[in-house]
Amino acid sequence: MSHEYVPEIAVDREGNEYKVQGWQDDFYGGKLGFWLFMFTEVLMFGAMFMALAYYNHLHPQEFIEASASLNRLLGGINTVILLVSALTMGLSLLKMRAGDVKGSKLMIWATIVLALAFLGIKAVEWTAEYNHGIFLMHGEMLPESGMSFGKKLFFGMYFTMTGIHGFHIIIGIGIMLWLLKRINAGKVRPDHHILHWNIALYWDIVHLIWVFVFPYYYMIGAGGATGGH
Amino acid sequence: MDTNIVDYKKERLVYYKVLVGLLLLTAVTFIQPHLFMEESTFMAQMLIALIKAWLIIMYYMHLKGDTLIGTMGIFSLIIVATFFIIVIGFDVANFQFGDESYITGPTSAGVESAAPTHH
Repeated sequence: MSHEYVPEIAVDREGNEYKVQGWQDDFYGGKLGFWLFMFTEVLMFGAMFMALAYYNHLHPQEFIEASASLNRLLGGINTVILLVSALTMGLSLLKMRAGDVKGSKLMIWATIVLALAFLGIKAVEWTAEYNHGIFLMHGEMLPESGMSFGKKLFFGMYFTMTGIHGFHIIIGIGIMLWLLKRINAGKVRPDHHILHWNIALYWDIVHLIWVFVFPYYYMIGAGGATGGH
Repeated sequence: MDTNIVDYKKERLVYYKVLVGLLLLTAVTFIQPHLFMEESTFMAQMLIALIKAWLIIMYYMHLKGDTLIGTMGIFSLIIVATFFIIVIGFDVANFQFGDESYITGPTSAGVESAAPTHH
């Protein structure tokens, strides 16, 4: 299916044809629309953070104990990976705007590799947690298990939020591959880069969400099981 | 922000400076529980996260100098804060079935068990 822009033609009573204004090059409109989409993401994760804060308020000590049991090293490595990937994605956009298409593509590939590394580490982490009987509707998380309700809430929210965040990473890899295809096809160019700009924004919001997910889940229990909250 | 005017070296330098700032703040995230605000780890961690978020939004998401989207963002945050914190907060605080609820009831809060082992 072709995505070529075909201008709409308006005809007056005398039969004169006029090209109707297209919005394909409306850079600011495209950016504004994507920001509106990102606000819906913030709303979705915001609602989950509010629920988390409420459960934390109900079970503060259990949240600290559950947080202390998470692997902070792996979580921290993933934090740095996402941080560097935000830089590579930003540099890819900058290189595209500056006319260095080859360098831009290289930076997108670097971002994809870092995103895959993030998913790989997350998989290792989840596997270890599963083997310890901590996973949704499994082992210690089953309703009849002896784990306290506060910890079940913590781990339930942890798997839900990191799972949805991981899903966003997978989507991000998909749209970066699509972006590479569009660049190769000449549809995204230094003078026409709104798609690249918006995908870079998407990657930044994915990073931004992790900036709050990481400390809330991994760090609140770092002060010891009895304090730090 | 006019995206057609590119000062490559200057913008790249900003990216690297922000990266250094974010890496330093990530290091602070790790040492904070042992260094300062030991009794308020949650507040300290969220404060560091807010500073990191501000850097990302302003410099990586290019919101610095973009008044329209910035204003829209603040307006949206006010709406979210109003609905989530004030409206829902008031509703939750006055939840008349608190004792009967599986989540808020005393039975759920009182159950204790061993903490999962570190892995």
